[in-house]
Amino acid sequence: MKLEGSETGDSMKKFVLALPFIAGALVLFFILDLMLGSVNIPPDAILSILTGGEIKETWMHIFWDWRVPKAVTAVFAGAALALSGLLMQTFFRNPLADPYILGISSGASLGVAIVMMSAGICGAGAVFASVGLMGDMSISVAAILGAFAVLLLILLISSKIQSNITILILGIMVSYISGALVTVLLQFTDETSMHTYSLWTFGSFTGVTWSQLPIMVFLLALGFILSFCLIKPLNALLLGEQYAESMGMNYRRIRIVIITTTALMAGVVTAFCGPIGFLGIAIPHFCRSFFVTADHRVLVPGCILAGGIIALITDIISHVPGTDIVLPLNAITALFGAPVVIWVIVRGTKFGRGVTT
Amino acid sequence: MSGTKILTCANLSIGYRSQKEVIKEVSKGLDLSLLRGELVCLIGPNGSGKSTLIRTLTGIQPALCGEVRLLDRKIGEFTPEEKAKTLSVVLTSQVQAGFLTAFDIVALGRFPYTNWAGRLTGPDREIVYSALASVGAKDLAGRFIHEMSDGERQKVMIARALAQEPELMVLDEPTAYLDLPHKIETMRILRQVAQKTKKSILLSTHDLNLAIRCADQLWIIDRRGTMISGTPEDLVLSGIFGSAFEIEGVHFDPVRGEFSIPVEKRGTFALSAPGSVERVWTLYALERIGFLPSAGEEADIHIAIRMEHDSVRWHYDHPEGEIECRSIRELIDCIARHHTGGDAH
Repeated sequence: MKLEGSETGDSMKKFVLALPFIAGALVLFFILDLMLGSVNIPPDAILSILTGGEIKETWMHIFWDWRVPKAVTAVFAGAALALSGLLMQTFFRNPLADPYILGISSGASLGVAIVMMSAGICGAGAVFASVGLMGDMSISVAAILGAFAVLLLILLISSKIQSNITILILGIMVSYISGALVTVLLQFTDETSMHTYSLWTFGSFTGVTWSQLPIMVFLLALGFILSFCLIKPLNALLLGEQYAESMGMNYRRIRIVIITTTALMAGVVTAFCGPIGFLGIAIPHFCRSFFVTADHRVLVPGCILAGGIIALITDIISHVPGTDIVLPLNAITALFGAPVVIWVIVRGTKFGRGVTT
Repeated sequence: MSGTKILTCANLSIGYRSQKEVIKEVSKGLDLSLLRGELVCLIGPNGSGKSTLIRTLTGIQPALCGEVRLLDRKIGEFTPEEKAKTLSVVLTSQVQAGFLTAFDIVALGRFPYTNWAGRLTGPDREIVYSALASVGAKDLAGRFIHEMSDGERQKVMIARALAQEPELMVLDEPTAYLDLPHKIETMRILRQVAQKTKKSILLSTHDLNLAIRCADQLWIIDRRGTMISGTPEDLVLSGIFGSAFEIEGVHFDPVRGEFSIPVEKRGTFALSAPGSVERVWTLYALERIGFLPSAGEEADIHIAIRMEHDSVRWHYDHPEGEIECRSIRELIDCIARHHTGGDAH
């Protein structure tokens, strides 16, 4: 693709033209994610499930209780991570910013670690090691509580501070503190809890049950709506906060909305899927290079779609189709995603230009 | 509508305070007014308070005492949106935005006018294009800002400020980072904007020569924070301009309208030449190597410029005979060889 700016500023029009293809790709990979896995379900079987036809009982179970929630989770989590990464990169005007830069996932990790370790100490570790509803829910609740504790802390501090670079540094400090506390906690736990915890840190789209799914989808959709409302101020922030303020933007208010929206999405994803890395930092860059614009009217919907697609692909790969092997999701996102993103960013552009925010 | 006061302030004190205590008063008793369509240059040495004044006048920083009135209304009473529609800025810091075209950047100037999603209407689009045209950057519309030169980028940022359709544009050192031709071009564009669109422009700059030639009004802050305002020519004639900026060894030449570079005097010269460009530049060259015009007394060196057909010849009168030089370079070499009494040998 030749890199060129849009004469009329309507990168939007190009995006609308490309939209059917991107949406088509999303549907395609969604279906593939339903089909492929340790047991491959052929397309005609999928068709007959949807039309109410007769198929094997085990396929029915795998399809409804396992594959559908997993695919929906992948789409929403991928989109949310991409969006919150975009928000943070624009807000901090830093290409290295990611959804977790405010320390949100570290807070969530700490919450999860506390719950797992205390359970382990009380001898109830087995509850969490299983995939029972009770265990999963308490992990999610712990993660959300941890994430929001960090959010409150950041908001409280940022109300007293002008510079957003200071907030960035504070977020990183909070990450270090939570990380340190988790390490200390790990010293005092048994093997099982430690293993469960490290499995959680690998990240996974599986394990979200039908009872949890609506909660997750609702909260993330709320984050998507808030992101759409932020399009205009985000565009203004591309010129820096001083210009944005001179154009009539209420910086302090927008800052709170951006931080809260990011924390909501990153916190919820971490709560249900664990701290999934890479997608949040890479997909916004991928979208900027792919759509050749920094306009958030394109990037916000673009990140939702691209985030969903890429999360589905990584999920398919991590469940190595046709085998029982399940690779850690975080390894797959980086291992397969990084070369693709490097290729998109470097291809046809002057080196390094692709990462400008 | 010319003659309307766009920005005024009376008995204004600027500076910094923490809580209730005044930490540092930068300048006080400022009485300033800026008329519609006027271009005002704010000049002063580093650290004199130019930025503080600009921040106070644009309402970013509160005044210590006195008030700033924009369109005869206190600046603090404006809502952010109202202020954005009246006052736009061009900041010193360079915009580091990738993947934004000049059109995108200028379109952001429509921020206070567009809907929640920032959607551009037909008229918005026309305003963006005419803003780009006013700064002579129409052909930059589809180019990315990160691929532009400093001069082009500055034009785009001025167009963005224009697209905001303000009454007053405030520019903080718009000519910094630019080379001389682009400095002049930027000033020419701003002059044109002020005259054609009747917008008022306030800019701070360190380019004193440009400021004298372009501004309708100069606001000078000297090192002590004293503010003097007036028409540039009056300030030069009264000597105020020179005294505000002169430092040890650097003096303002009111005839040429620029600061002269002091040189050690080596002698005097007498020059006979027709009034031509060559004459002017020969004078500059002689001055540079330390020769001043002789005032009545016998000059140390005698030079004549003769124009023959298409060529120019410099004749250097020397006790041993006249030497003909083909360029100023040769002339300077001749003087170096002969005048210093053999030092150059």
